[in-house]
Amino acid sequence: MPSSHDAVALRFREDWGRLVAGLIGWCGDWDLAEECAAEAFAAAVPAWEDSGVPDAPLAWLTTVARNRARDRLRRRTTETAKVALATADTTEVAAFDDDDIPDERLRLMFTCCHPALAMPARVALTLRTLGGLTPAEIGRAYLVTEPTMEKRLVRARAKIKNAGIPYRVPPPELWAERVEGVLAVLYLMFNEGYAASSGDALVRVDVSAEAIRLTRSLVELLPGEPEVRGLLALMLLTDARRPARVRDGHVVPLAEQDRSRWDLDQMTEGARLLDAEQPWGPYAVQARIALCHDVARRPEDTDWAAIAELYTLLPATPVIELNRAVAVSMAHGPTAALPLVEALEEDLADYYLYAATLADLYARLDRTADAAAALSTAIEQAPTGAERRLLLERREALLSGS
Amino acid sequence: MKYMLIHAVDESRLADLPPQAETELSAWVDEMVDRGIELDGARLHPTSDATTVRGPAGKVQVTDGPFAETKEQIAGYDVIDCPDLDTAIAVASAHPTLHVGAIEVRAFDEGMTVPEVPESPAEGKRRYLMLVCADMRRAMAGSAAADQASPDLWDPPDPEPVEQPDELDDVDRWIADAGSRRVYGWALDFPNRAVTVRRVDDRVVTTDGPFAETKEQVAGFDLLECSDLDDAIVVAAGHPVAGSGLLELRPLWS
Repeated sequence: MPSSHDAVALRFREDWGRLVAGLIGWCGDWDLAEECAAEAFAAAVPAWEDSGVPDAPLAWLTTVARNRARDRLRRRTTETAKVALATADTTEVAAFDDDDIPDERLRLMFTCCHPALAMPARVALTLRTLGGLTPAEIGRAYLVTEPTMEKRLVRARAKIKNAGIPYRVPPPELWAERVEGVLAVLYLMFNEGYAASSGDALVRVDVSAEAIRLTRSLVELLPGEPEVRGLLALMLLTDARRPARVRDGHVVPLAEQDRSRWDLDQMTEGARLLDAEQPWGPYAVQARIALCHDVARRPEDTDWAAIAELYTLLPATPVIELNRAVAVSMAHGPTAALPLVEALEEDLADYYLYAATLADLYARLDRTADAAAALSTAIEQAPTGAERRLLLERREALLSGS
Repeated sequence: MKYMLIHAVDESRLADLPPQAETELSAWVDEMVDRGIELDGARLHPTSDATTVRGPAGKVQVTDGPFAETKEQIAGYDVIDCPDLDTAIAVASAHPTLHVGAIEVRAFDEGMTVPEVPESPAEGKRRYLMLVCADMRRAMAGSAAADQASPDLWDPPDPEPVEQPDELDDVDRWIADAGSRRVYGWALDFPNRAVTVRRVDDRVVTTDGPFAETKEQVAGFDLLECSDLDDAIVVAAGHPVAGSGLLELRPLWS
């Protein structure tokens, strides 16, 4: 039988976001909601040790947290506390089943990802309030100290309160834009976690896994939004390659990865999330591109023509055009792709992958000197040590004629 | 003449306010209300609670923070009615903001009426100061040229009219749409005609021009009373300036 400690840890993973979301909806005070949710979990350890895990743990936790919150509000004498108490007192937990407790995580998610908050604040707030990560853990993930992260969270909560950011699911006229905003936060969170897993830092909290978990719950909460499924699919189909992505601290290029180490379960789950019917949103299209890579048993089996085609369905930004050109070069050869890449010089002159792509095309056209020069540019522009090392190796291989 | 006093303070210096500042402030307000000078005024939440809205309707861009990152930030405002600029400067010079910052004195365009603003907002509503900001350098250059005695010695003023012919109609339409969410507001005179008052070594010093040289400048303001920030964003995004300039929303200190 698991100890009450394990049972509480499990409920924490499952219920933290829902508990906090419900408490904020009930009293309107973010700080109070978080403090009392944490206290309720702390109280659960000895209580559940004595009398076992209750039948409705979320209802139990909600009751304990609300009682604590009420005590604190009574001790405060401010006008806002009185108002909060008056609002809060009207609704009681009368649930014997956790399903009777309304799930308010969606309101919380939209508020945490509100466009009037700075992007780093949105990410931090989502990880803290919905994910239950501590400021120290979030700080480690983003390489800032705990006090700095704590300050960021305090400031974000102050803005919600002072500027009057509503705690609600947005109305229809704001719906599309705000859903897009939530997805952007989750995708950024995923990407930063994914990139960091190969960076110079060793001790990192797995933010990518957290992003997947949060997106999974968003799929449950918004079953009618195909782009939410598209985003989850994209994350899973990308994350499936993670076991083969880094070797000895080096990033392994897609073509050289040990494909037997890719996670088949994640790939299957990701593929199942994709709708057959068009139109596909940008996340669904990117997920399909990831899927084209995932299903190729060997690099040479990759359906590059399909990938090049999929890129035309995405908004034509310079970076997307560069990726499309790479796919064209793989499907139809470097000669077909070179003018597409060269056309991007003005927009992407400072982007290391522009120079790296150009180098690759020159090398394939046997223009070794041009290729080496472009690689040198890319090496100067590379953002992290891992990427720089990879490019240095490529230049060495090129110049030694291998 | 009606003037806006724009209080500009380096937020990190707010802690340096001497203890008597609060008393000085209430004395200043009491005196200016008694003299019929102070019509409206409020303290604002810091710029970390500011939200900037830009972009034409349908492509609204909402960002965290103020419209310009300047050392001194707008911390409050007063709307005053004085016989002339010298009186306005004297009124500003007596304000305790000068302990830690500056006050920009800027005339309103003619024709503003200031309603009686109740002390607190209506039940369930919040107040926001909406700063209407635009790049007015071209317009100012045009007006400076027009002010010259021999205009042909200078570059001719911008042949295009500064205000689009239908701009007023747009503003009227916006005011109608905002309804009770807009309390009042008005356009300000050009920032190059502003005067900034500060205290240097216990002496009050006035300089011409706004408190900070930024690309966009405050061109006017509206006091909003909305249910929440989303409501205020919708009002701001509908403003005719949203297409070319930006709107900064600042919650009032309550």
